[in-house]
Amino acid sequence: MSLWNPYAALTSGQRRGLGLAAVVLVIAIWSAVSGFGLVGPVKLPTPWSVLEAFAYLAWNDGKSLLLTATLWSAGRVAAAGVLVIAIGVPVGILMGSAPKLNAFLSPLVDPFRSAPVVALLPILVMWLGIGETMKIAFLFIGAVVYLIPMVRDAIQAVPQSYWISTRDLGATHWECVIKAIVPMAMPRIADAIIVGISMMWTYITVAEYVNAREGLGQLIQNARRFSAMDQVFAGIIVIIALALVTYQLMLGLKKKLYPWETSL
Amino acid sequence: MNAASPVSLVLKNIVQEYAMPGGKKNRVIDDINLEFNQPGINMLLGPSGCGKSTLMTMMGGVRPAGVDSPTSGTILIDGAECNDAHDDAVMVFQRYANRPDLTVYENVAFPFRLALWKKKLSKSEWQQRVEEMLKAVGLSDKKNLYPAQLSGGQNQRVALARALALRPRILLMDEPFGALDAQIREEMQQLLIELYKAWPCLIIFVTHDVTEALLLGDRVIVLSTQPALVADDFEITEARPRSSAWQRSTEAVKLEERILSKLHNASGGRGAVRVSI
Repeated sequence: MSLWNPYAALTSGQRRGLGLAAVVLVIAIWSAVSGFGLVGPVKLPTPWSVLEAFAYLAWNDGKSLLLTATLWSAGRVAAAGVLVIAIGVPVGILMGSAPKLNAFLSPLVDPFRSAPVVALLPILVMWLGIGETMKIAFLFIGAVVYLIPMVRDAIQAVPQSYWISTRDLGATHWECVIKAIVPMAMPRIADAIIVGISMMWTYITVAEYVNAREGLGQLIQNARRFSAMDQVFAGIIVIIALALVTYQLMLGLKKKLYPWETSL
Repeated sequence: MNAASPVSLVLKNIVQEYAMPGGKKNRVIDDINLEFNQPGINMLLGPSGCGKSTLMTMMGGVRPAGVDSPTSGTILIDGAECNDAHDDAVMVFQRYANRPDLTVYENVAFPFRLALWKKKLSKSEWQQRVEEMLKAVGLSDKKNLYPAQLSGGQNQRVALARALALRPRILLMDEPFGALDAQIREEMQQLLIELYKAWPCLIIFVTHDVTEALLLGDRVIVLSTQPALVADDFEITEARPRSSAWQRSTEAVKLEERILSKLHNASGGRGAVRVSI
């Protein structure tokens, strides 16, 4: 079998095996580089010291720093996630369904896709202080500026022929939107939500940069201050793992909710 | 089922123009006048792209966004002008007929979730109709499948069941079997004949298939292309189903020749019609 065939089917064993091989390869190079002292432990900790740090964070002195931090971060992502879905999805649906609303609102939404969201942080601190409100608002803005346009595009991707045929059956304009267009756009809207939530995990460390007493971002920040690079690595790996798990869970939920999409 | 109450559908001086780049206007339909007064299968026959579908969406009262349709002229149903979606006519399209997110049953039952039909029928009434129609099109055992799990012919059965569950007075069919292969198309034509027997309504059936027009039509209206004009309009009295012997008869062959020559003269050879074997 040639390597160069974009349509070649892999068995799940092949896929997992190759994926695992890549991870093992990276760990091997990492072990070699750090183990033989090519790079000092302050810059690059060894894999086993990261593991030790992980164990220490997971359980030490009768408490788990890692679990507490994870719960705090996950709680913030969840709170901001609920807000993003509750506000971003309806706004995107309205913009996608009414070209006039879209023309009115898109100058307020679309430019922020290329705006440096991180640079908004100082402004948010000025406006909202350094408490939870600011952190959740930051996560919210970071995700919602991507979510709204994606939801709008999902609505507009539904072919007009469905609109015509639903109108023909006697549906009002609003019924066409609510009972035909939105249900058919749901899988793509779900994709938008998945991207939005995944994005929040990348922003969480920034959100928790300022005055966080708890959270994975704070944990990493603290460790960095004490030059505990092993703990920094452990924290980053935990965030990546959490983002992956969230992604897989949401993808599974989407497939369960919209079985008809995969059978297309 | 009892019969549909009679309906009169009149197209008066229908003209359709589209703006072309450069400010020119492209007249696709030029002064069409047609009258339908009784139940029957009326075939609108013309080459692809002659404006038949535009005519259909006009009669259905649904127009694509951004197009004034018709540019001039009126469509009257029972003497009343119809400009917007109305529930006298139901359409069956060639493609995109069914909702991919709904099962077969849900697709047929979908109209009854709309305010308009909820008002007219109780739940038990429409549920009975849906079951009845699924049985009539032979899909009772597939009602929990999604359209993607069905063949093209089965999908058109779903579309027919949904349309007829509404007991329409007018059924507008826009090349409904055009995308099916020959054998399935024949099956569907037979099914339509049976369904029409059970619910004789006013059917306008668009096709570019001469054989199909002769097989199904009580009346055949031949349209020319660019712009669309009524090139011919005649009736066929032979009872349905029409045997293959009749299809080979002198009468049928003559009608076929008549259609083809009209089309050829009217369109100057442009466009294409199909004669299937």
